[in-house]
Amino acid sequence: MTDFVAILTSALVYGSIYGLVAIGMSLIYGTLRILDMSQGSMVMVGGYVGWSALVKYGANPVVALVLAFVATFALGTITELISVQPLIGRRRDLDFEMVTFITTFAVAIVLTNVALQHFGPFQKNVPPIVAGSLHVYKGVSISYHELTMAGISIALIAALGLFLGRTRWGLAIRAVAQDIDAARSVAVPVTRLYPATMGLASGLAGVGGVFLAALYFASPTAGDLPLLQALIVVVLGGLGSLIGTLYAAYLVGLMQSLCEVEIGTTWSLPILYGAILLVLVVRPNGLKGSPSAARL
Amino acid sequence: MNGVFSSLSAGRWTLLVGAVVLATLFPVAYHDPYYMTVIVTAEIVLILNISWNFVLGMAGVWNFGQLAIYALGAYGGGWVMLHARWVPVPLAILCGGLFAATVSVLLAFPTLRLFGIYTSLLTFAFSQVVQYVALNDPGGLTGGAFGFPAVPGLFPDLGPAASLRGYYWVCAAVIAISMAALAWLRQSHLGIALRSIRDAPAYTASRGIDPRSVRIAAFGLSGFLAGIAGSLYLCFQQSITTSQMGLSPMSIDVTMLVIGGLGTLSGPLIGTAVVTVIQTALISYPGWQLTILGAILLLIVIFVPGGIAGAISRSTQRVRAWVAEGEDSDSAPPPVRSPDTVRPSRFSDRST
Repeated sequence: MTDFVAILTSALVYGSIYGLVAIGMSLIYGTLRILDMSQGSMVMVGGYVGWSALVKYGANPVVALVLAFVATFALGTITELISVQPLIGRRRDLDFEMVTFITTFAVAIVLTNVALQHFGPFQKNVPPIVAGSLHVYKGVSISYHELTMAGISIALIAALGLFLGRTRWGLAIRAVAQDIDAARSVAVPVTRLYPATMGLASGLAGVGGVFLAALYFASPTAGDLPLLQALIVVVLGGLGSLIGTLYAAYLVGLMQSLCEVEIGTTWSLPILYGAILLVLVVRPNGLKGSPSAARL
Repeated sequence: MNGVFSSLSAGRWTLLVGAVVLATLFPVAYHDPYYMTVIVTAEIVLILNISWNFVLGMAGVWNFGQLAIYALGAYGGGWVMLHARWVPVPLAILCGGLFAATVSVLLAFPTLRLFGIYTSLLTFAFSQVVQYVALNDPGGLTGGAFGFPAVPGLFPDLGPAASLRGYYWVCAAVIAISMAALAWLRQSHLGIALRSIRDAPAYTASRGIDPRSVRIAAFGLSGFLAGIAGSLYLCFQQSITTSQMGLSPMSIDVTMLVIGGLGTLSGPLIGTAVVTVIQTALISYPGWQLTILGAILLLIVIFVPGGIAGAISRSTQRVRAWVAEGEDSDSAPPPVRSPDTVRPSRFSDRST
């Protein structure tokens, strides 16, 4: 029973943070048809913004989170303007998805190494957003930080859902994801929507970065593991499907905590990978994705 | 073989033979140990890049797991070198190649049903997981974070300068053989099938070519070459660590391939040379190497699509068209095929 409660609580925590980082990737893929490899760097940048705000300037945690969102939103917008916007409509030797995979990867390389130059290779300790911990069940406790992380992640994902479902900009983003030509014909400003979408996704990753930095550290390579986990989540859920991503995030969280409790941390990633492999062999487009061949 | 080499003009033949002779004689005249080490390392990276270019550029399969295959080739070859000492080292290197080819073929199977971006995700995650497992290796096979235990290498009895030269020639031979094989393969049945699957998968399948077996063959061949590169690296450096399959070597290799020109025969050669020169020039600013390379990668993709090899072939085409125009002013000049006009924007031909 103790194991069971421990697995469930950590599945909730992991799943929420994976969802927050991965949903942005899925949103970008759904709208722009690019796989944003700079998403991991946004987690890293968010962590450093959190460290600067909380440790260097002693700011309020709420201020730190907002600052991280604003900074990574701006960075995501700039990334789109530099690495994606010039390529739109210029389908040359390589196809768009491959080229943008490479350009966003290049942005990630640059960001990681600029961080390495500016902050140095040493890990920075970031204090938890909220101190203390909550006792759940015999021997199982969850820190308030993790609880806040899960809560804010869920709130942000819900807010994203509301934004996409109710607001004018959100509807425009969904329209572009569904049918870009139809969206253009009803005067949706497609080229202005792209930077905003990428900024939004990066902002969510940045907020996730502040939380993750307190769980682990802020370091130049802090974004690598979240990127890998987000990739696994979006592949499992089906690229472009937000609901599928959400399911997959909690499923991956559950599998990971199951592995960690029952087998050990070393094997959790390989086992997760094996599971994804099996899913993809049976369903090549993930759990909820639509066939990508139809889109190409 | 005739098809490839009879198509070369006399001038190209001279150039090719001259380049091979110069490259062979180079270490006789040049002895600086530091730069020779840099050159041999670049040669090994070039072998890896040739193998990666084959599967990524020519076959058009988005395999981003090549570095893990490369490292696994090194581990496989190294295992033979350490645990079966009666096997001659060149054979052990071949064993590394075969082991890598096996893993690569196994990796090909789950990607058979996947398209584009999913393939890249699966293979990228594969390389990260292999790195993670090798780093936390519980069995002690890979040496974990300390790296693989030292192996004797190809020339245990030679002095440092002579063995450097030896490695130079061995790697140069592997490069020459693999590039000649690729040149032949490009116009062989398999090569044409690969390109046609890349460009029109459905049509190729409808003409009776099995995309699966062709893809598996591409993975196997490229994995074999990558494994040989890995084993050579292990022999040359005496050790290999898991950081060899990390993100920064991968970004450097991708930069090399893209700068040189993905999918072209000379692309890896040009790209590896250019990036190695940039890296060596920036050796006093190690922190800025990757930043600058990343920026160059971005600029090349945006402004020089097709890389340097693509730009060269475009400009020679233009010069030829211009010459033909001068020689024969009555007939209309052959139109220079501009890549912009090949296909319309991807956004207009999308049907959902």
